[in-house]
Amino acid sequence: MFFNTKVSSFKKLILTASLSMTFAFSNTSHAAEPLKVAYSDWPGFVAWQVAIDKGWFKEAGLDIKFDWFDYGASMEAFAAGKVDGVFVTNGDALVVGSGGAKNTMILITDYSNGNDMIIGKPGVKSIKDLKGKKVGTELGIVDHLLLLDGLEKAGMKESDITLVNVKINDTPQALAAGDLAAIGVFEPSASQALKLVPGSKPIYTSAQSPGLIYDVLTVSPASLSSRKEDWKKLIGVWGKVVTYINDPKTQADAVKIMSARDGLTPAEYKKFMKGTRLLSVAEGKAAYVKADGLKSLWGSTKNADNFNVKNAIYKEPQDISNYIDPVLYK
Amino acid sequence: MKSFSLLSGWFGVRQELSKERRTIIGWASFLLPILIWCAVSYLPFIWHPLVLVENIGDVDYFQEGMRIEKTIFKEEFENMQSNGKKVPQGIPANPIYLPAPHEVAKAFYTAFTTPPAQKDGLWMHESLWQSIKVIFWGFVISSLFGVPLGILCGTYSVVARLFEPFIEFFRYLPAPAFGALMVAVLGIYDGPKIAIIVIGTFFQQVLVISNTTRKLDYSLIEAAMTLGTSKWKLLHHVVIPGILPNLYLDMRILLGWAWTYLIVAELIGTSSGITLFITQQARYQHFENVYAAIFIIGFIGLGTDLFLAWLGRRMFRWDRPANKV
Repeated sequence: MFFNTKVSSFKKLILTASLSMTFAFSNTSHAAEPLKVAYSDWPGFVAWQVAIDKGWFKEAGLDIKFDWFDYGASMEAFAAGKVDGVFVTNGDALVVGSGGAKNTMILITDYSNGNDMIIGKPGVKSIKDLKGKKVGTELGIVDHLLLLDGLEKAGMKESDITLVNVKINDTPQALAAGDLAAIGVFEPSASQALKLVPGSKPIYTSAQSPGLIYDVLTVSPASLSSRKEDWKKLIGVWGKVVTYINDPKTQADAVKIMSARDGLTPAEYKKFMKGTRLLSVAEGKAAYVKADGLKSLWGSTKNADNFNVKNAIYKEPQDISNYIDPVLYK
Repeated sequence: MKSFSLLSGWFGVRQELSKERRTIIGWASFLLPILIWCAVSYLPFIWHPLVLVENIGDVDYFQEGMRIEKTIFKEEFENMQSNGKKVPQGIPANPIYLPAPHEVAKAFYTAFTTPPAQKDGLWMHESLWQSIKVIFWGFVISSLFGVPLGILCGTYSVVARLFEPFIEFFRYLPAPAFGALMVAVLGIYDGPKIAIIVIGTFFQQVLVISNTTRKLDYSLIEAAMTLGTSKWKLLHHVVIPGILPNLYLDMRILLGWAWTYLIVAELIGTSSGITLFITQQARYQHFENVYAAIFIIGFIGLGTDLFLAWLGRRMFRWDRPANKV
């Protein structure tokens, strides 16, 4: 008798377990479900934490769920169709799309304004000093793009330097080792490098090339078409977020919320915010106007596309007009 | 000759040590690394290759709290001295990746006592619980299939020939490589994480258990068959009870194996559990927190294993190591 009850309770356990597993594994999304977006560690994305903690989505009548990822994992989740939207750079939106996960950029959160930088070792004072020298960065990502941009402005070509492929996380140690004249790197690794190599200095930063790297919310075209009214509600919330972060009266509270997301103190977090220029709704709207040059998301994305093709990240140039939809700014 | 006999008292070949000595040695195995760590951390003459800047003096690029190589610090110090400027001050320090024991101990304590800073953030014990659930389900699902299959492989050659070659192949495939695939199939929450633990554990499990089963004394099986037992009874009454103590030991080792896949598993899909804490803290170089988290995992692992070992000694009283007592 005792044995029997034990077996049946064990069976029950297995049954409940497998049931709960089925629930955990199934994630078909129908209209009644919340929109799902993936966000990761970048000040322009963490900014949304303010709206999450304050409950502003509910106020706007929007049912949306933010899931926290590593940057690479967030792109994987979007590519696998497990989330409706993801926060990435405009260049990476193209990379994800070229792999088959078509997407539409509907909202600009910010552009990098100094958080990406080329750091020269002691004695290297400008991009021109790099001629004939070795420069380390992770090939094919934003700081490689930044380096090419800097070279071009200095009237130089990629062939004037020797590029060395170094993972972003390893660049500080690589610069310290002494072989490289400069590295291309973003925060927080950039601060580490500056600390690690006394006398090293940023010789070119994304602040000198605003709009080279935009950060955006990009969503699946299917979700945009079926849930357009929901997505449109986001823009009002974003306006509130930017105001709350930029207003000196509320800024401290905003920084506190954002730093908590990262497990940092507000003082530590503030350093990284300076290098990110959040775009208000009006500024975002201006960047959505079709134009050449980096002031426009169009021009910036075209530039990123050229870079991606040239560096064989994908083969065929992407049709930019498929990737940009100003629907939220209308 | 006294010292020799003293040594031979400790170094008897396969002779069990006295209970007292076992305890001493057991503690020493932990104390030794901790003592080395303390020495490196607290005795500046052993290592301390850097200088922690406390006062920047007139050196333009120094910052307070910056760690700098000794030679460079000395250079700048002499530079400032010869120019009649304010000299920098600092104390010898280890690199940031080697925090001292007391810093880690403090981080360990504060990790549990600090309420989550984020509004719906998790306490440390809640994050840990998330991780433990992932391990638990991964191990249960793997065992549900791995244990029966392993026993069958060890008992019947036909089953072994059918499954083992493929499993031998598959166990070399790195589990983390299935990350993106599992996200595509199972979603972004616990599904793919559990799957990585299963992939990492299952294939080893089958092979280890089939091997254990094969080691069962054949005379036991022969005797049972001579007495005319049926095939099912043979498994149920002879093979399984025969291998049970060793099977239990295997499972203990395999559970540890499952734990080692936790960190890669939790990096897949949404960031969660103890891994979220570790990666976040590492990114901003709060290494004392990273060490604390690693130790927490170690304590949980060791704690579980000690408990299971204690349980095993009670369940399988007849099974003792063949050492001279």
